[in-house]
Amino acid sequence: MALVRRIPGSRSLPGWPLAALRDACLVAALASGLGLAVNALRPGGLPLLAEKEYEILVPCSEVQGEADALEPDHPALREARTLLLDARSAEEFQAWHAPGATHLPYDYLEPVSPGALKRVLQSGAARVVVIGDGADPDSGEQLARELAGKGIRHVGYVRGGAAALRQAGAAGRAP
Amino acid sequence: MKRCLAWRGHPWLALPARVYLAAVFLLACWHKLAHPESFAVDIATYQILPLALVNPLAIALPWVELAAGLLLLVGFRARAAALLVAGMMLMFSVAIALALSKGLDMSCGCFASQGAAEDPISGLTVLPDLGWLLLAVYVFLCDHTPVGLDGWLARRREEKP
Repeated sequence: MALVRRIPGSRSLPGWPLAALRDACLVAALASGLGLAVNALRPGGLPLLAEKEYEILVPCSEVQGEADALEPDHPALREARTLLLDARSAEEFQAWHAPGATHLPYDYLEPVSPGALKRVLQSGAARVVVIGDGADPDSGEQLARELAGKGIRHVGYVRGGAAALRQAGAAGRAP
Repeated sequence: MKRCLAWRGHPWLALPARVYLAAVFLLACWHKLAHPESFAVDIATYQILPLALVNPLAIALPWVELAAGLLLLVGFRARAAALLVAGMMLMFSVAIALALSKGLDMSCGCFASQGAAEDPISGLTVLPDLGWLLLAVYVFLCDHTPVGLDGWLARRREEKP
């Protein structure tokens, strides 16, 4: 039994790393067993198997920057150097989207991924306009403020979101 | 290399490292032992393990930390304890790196369960873990006649006719 052997590591014992590994495994097993036993005996101990998924509280991504609210007929929406981002869900985007708009769905619980941020930065656009769902709060405004907070300049959102833009007939520019 | 590892000063140099690592682990396990339910949430937040393994790990890991800390402190099977510490530090570093790569905004749950707003993980969170990993590797490789119970037991065995 490794625990009652000579000190692991003495120079006369060339196999000391293995002995130490054996001891480590034994200590881990004994400690785990003790932990499980104490937990079983403890009133209100943690069940060995979780009955349902843990509700993980992930804080909402910080909305920090300032974004311009643009009317649906704002001329900036038709400018060639404007990057149109659609923050709505994939289904909504498939159903209708402004020509030339890039899909970047906004999730209230997840920050914008570094990859998506890089794509926006590398687009070379002079202005970024986000089209959201127009709800309260508007996903377009949230995404625009998040992008502005992450250092992207000249960011705006369409007041009223996709519905207002569609109603106004201002369908962006050709793709 | 062999001569370096065999240097007689290592056990004395390793002693403060052992005591420091022991203090870190005893502090780290305290809250987890008292509140395994909070620690289970911390583990689940990493989104690495399947649900079936979350609670067993939340129950067992603090006791392994406690055992490793106590063994390092009293110098009994100190190299085995250092190996355990190194393994756990490697595991924690990988978990934090995975969480960072997923962009999770969370607390590491290393000492006490805190909200992400109070103690969010970052690239810097891994640095202390890597420092402790290096200390544990040093104790494992160089503490050949540990000052403590191991040394005392060895001397007693040698004195016996």
